[in-house]
Amino acid sequence: MGMNDPYNKEELDALKANTPARIGVGRAGTRPKTDSWLKFRFDHAAAVDAVYGEVSEILLKRLNLFKVKTRAGDKEVYLRRPDYGRKLSDEAKRMIEAKCIKNPTVQIIISDGLSAKAIEDNVEDVYLSFKQSLAGAKLDTGTPFYIEKGRVAVMDDIGEILRPKVIVLLIGERPGLVSAESLSAYICYKPCLGTIEAERMVISNIHKGGIPPVEAGAHLGTVIQKILKYQASGMSLVKKENEEEMSAESV
Amino acid sequence: MNEQVEKIISAGIDIGTSTTKLVISELSLRNVAGGGQVPKIEITDKKILYRSPIFRTPLLSDTVIDIPAIHRLVENEYSYAGITMEHIQTGAVIITGETATKQNAEEMVHQLSQAAGEFLVAAAGPDLEGIIAAKGSGAYQHSIETRKTIANIDIGGGTANIAVYRTGILCGTCTLNIGGRLVEWEGKKMKVAPSIRKWLKSIGYSPFNADGAMIANEMAKVLSRFLADSFTKEDELLLVGKAPSWTGRIDGLMFSGGVSDCIYHEERVDKSFQDIGMMLATSIKENEELAAWEWEHPTETVRATVLGAGSHTTEISGATIEVNDSHLPIRNIPVYRLDFEGVLENGIERLKQSVQEAITIYDALQEGLNFAFYLTNLPYLSFRDIQLLVATFTEALKQKPDQQQPLIIVMDSDYGKVLGQTFMANRPEMPVICIDQTQVEHGDYLDIGRLLQTGVVPVVVKTLTFHN
Repeated sequence: MGMNDPYNKEELDALKANTPARIGVGRAGTRPKTDSWLKFRFDHAAAVDAVYGEVSEILLKRLNLFKVKTRAGDKEVYLRRPDYGRKLSDEAKRMIEAKCIKNPTVQIIISDGLSAKAIEDNVEDVYLSFKQSLAGAKLDTGTPFYIEKGRVAVMDDIGEILRPKVIVLLIGERPGLVSAESLSAYICYKPCLGTIEAERMVISNIHKGGIPPVEAGAHLGTVIQKILKYQASGMSLVKKENEEEMSAESV
Repeated sequence: MNEQVEKIISAGIDIGTSTTKLVISELSLRNVAGGGQVPKIEITDKKILYRSPIFRTPLLSDTVIDIPAIHRLVENEYSYAGITMEHIQTGAVIITGETATKQNAEEMVHQLSQAAGEFLVAAAGPDLEGIIAAKGSGAYQHSIETRKTIANIDIGGGTANIAVYRTGILCGTCTLNIGGRLVEWEGKKMKVAPSIRKWLKSIGYSPFNADGAMIANEMAKVLSRFLADSFTKEDELLLVGKAPSWTGRIDGLMFSGGVSDCIYHEERVDKSFQDIGMMLATSIKENEELAAWEWEHPTETVRATVLGAGSHTTEISGATIEVNDSHLPIRNIPVYRLDFEGVLENGIERLKQSVQEAITIYDALQEGLNFAFYLTNLPYLSFRDIQLLVATFTEALKQKPDQQQPLIIVMDSDYGKVLGQTFMANRPEMPVICIDQTQVEHGDYLDIGRLLQTGVVPVVVKTLTFHN
C-alpha cells in the first residue's frame, strides 16, 4: 500500500506519522489502489456496523447497569428523529424513579448514541477509572444505568427526576472513517428541562487510538471537582473562572 | 476550554572559562488542545526579559572561583532586571569549560542553586553544554525548520562543544580543547594552557616559542577533520571525553560562543582579551575545508549557552498527572528505565527484580536515596491491567529502605493520572509523583518543579546519553 516511489520517503513517513488521514496512499491511473480502496470500504462498513450495533447484555450485567429506552422505537426512527432520542419513554421514567438514589452528587449514565462499539470497547475502562477517581475525592455517586438509543440532551429528563449536582453521560460518538469506537463524556451541572447547550461540556476522542479510556476516567474526576467548586459547567464555568482570575489580579 | 496563558520566569546563568552572563526569560504556557479535548499544555512563547552584559568570570586565582563576587554579580543583575529570586520558577546554572575544573566549582554550584532561586538546576558536563548551546544559538530550531543536519559549534574560552541535530533529533556531541583562551599573552610572553601542550608537541611545535596564528590555523584544521569524521591520532589529543558519536552527513555549520562573535561580528568584539580568540576566528573563517559546508547564521552568538540554559532546558509534563505538590520541587533524581517492550506481563515479571536492581545502583548503602522509575513501551492498558501493575509494583516497592519516601514515576505514554490515583487508592499513606508524556533515558537526571496553575509541572532532563 502507498506510493510506489516517493520523492522523499523519510519526509512522507514523517507526515504520515502526524495524521491518521489517508495521505500518500498512491494511485493506479486515476483511481485508488485496490488495497487503499478495500481499506476504505472496510472502515466505512465498520462505521455503519457501529451505528446499527447493539450493546450486549453481558457488558450491562458485568457493570451492573439496568436498561431503559428513549422514545425512539427502532434504529431508523432514532436516526431520523433526534428529538425522540432526547426524551425518555414513560416506562423509563418510572423505572428510574423506582430504582435510583435521589439527589446524588454525581450521576453516571451510559448510552450507545451513534456507536454501540464505542460502549462495547471502551466504556468499562472509563467507568471503572472514573469511579476510582470519584472515590479518591470522596464524592458520592447515584445508581448508574444504561439508556438505549439516547442523545446527549436526554440527561435533562434525568436531571428532572433525580436532581443530581452533576450528570456525566458516557455516549458513543458518530463514527468516522478513522475510528468507529470513539467515546465522549458529556458533563453538565444540574441539567434540567431548558438547559442550553453552552452549559454542557465534553471530553471527546476517548478510545485506544485517542485519549486512553483509563486516563480519561481519571481526568473526569478532576473536572467534576472543578465543576463542583464553581457550581457551574460549560461557558458559565469559563466565565466564573475568568472572573475569579480577574479579581485575584486586581487584589 | 480555558484560554488563559500562564507565565513562568526562567533564569539562565552561565559561568564560563572567560566570561559569565545571565539571562532572564519568560515562558508562556497555554492549552493547545481544541475544545472538548483533554488539555495539552505547551510552552508557546519564550520572551527574553533581560540580558546581562558579558562579565569577566571573577577568579581569586587560576584555580579558585571568587564565589562572593559571583553572588554579588547575580544579585545585582536580578535587581537590574527588576526581579527577586522568589520569582524564578525554573532555569539552569551552568559551569562550562575550564571553570568546571576549578577547586571550588562544586561548592559554588551548590550554593548558587540554593541562593539564586526556588528552582534552579545545577548542571555541567561537556555534552550537555553542547546541547544547550545548540538550542540557544537556534541550530536546533533551524534543523527542524529546514529539515537539515546542522552542527552547532560553540567555541568559548576553554572548549569547543559540538552538537549535531538532524531535523530536531540529537545525533551526537563532541568536545574539543579548542578555545580562545588556551593561548594567552602577558605582554610579550605567551602562555599555553596545559590541555593543549601535548597536542602541540605532537605536531611539532614547542609550547614556548610557537606562533599564535599557526596554532589557530592548526586548531581550525583539527575542527574541520572532526566534523568530516576524518580525524587523525594526533587530533585525538584535543578530544575531551569520547570521539564524535554522530553518523552520517552534516549539511550546515553554525557557530556560537565568544569566539563566534569574532567570526560574525568583528566590529562589536571586546578587543581587550590578550588571547588567541581573534586569531582562531580568522583561521576558522579562512579555512577551506570548513568553507565547503553551508554556514548558517545563529540567532545568538556569545549568549547561546546562557540563553539555552535559561529558555530551553525546561520541558512541560503531560497535563493529566498526579503529583503531591508538598514533595516538590525535587532535584537531581536519577532515572531507572523499565522497558515493557510492549507486553505488560514482561514488565510485571521483572518488576521485583528491577526495583531491587534500582536500589542496588542508586541507593547502594540503603541510605534512602530516591530515584525515579521510567516506564516505557507500555502496551495499551485496561483498568484491570493498571490494577495488576500497581498491585505488583506496590509489593515490589516494599524492598525500598525508606517507605515514607515519595514514589516517583515518569512515563512517555499517557497514563500518569490513572496510575497515580491507583497507587493512592492502594497505598494512601505513600506520596506519589506520577508524570506522563515526558521522555527520559536510563541514567538521566531529573528535576521536577512545583505544580503550576495549568496543572502541569516543569521538568528539566539532564541528558547524559543520546536519543539516537
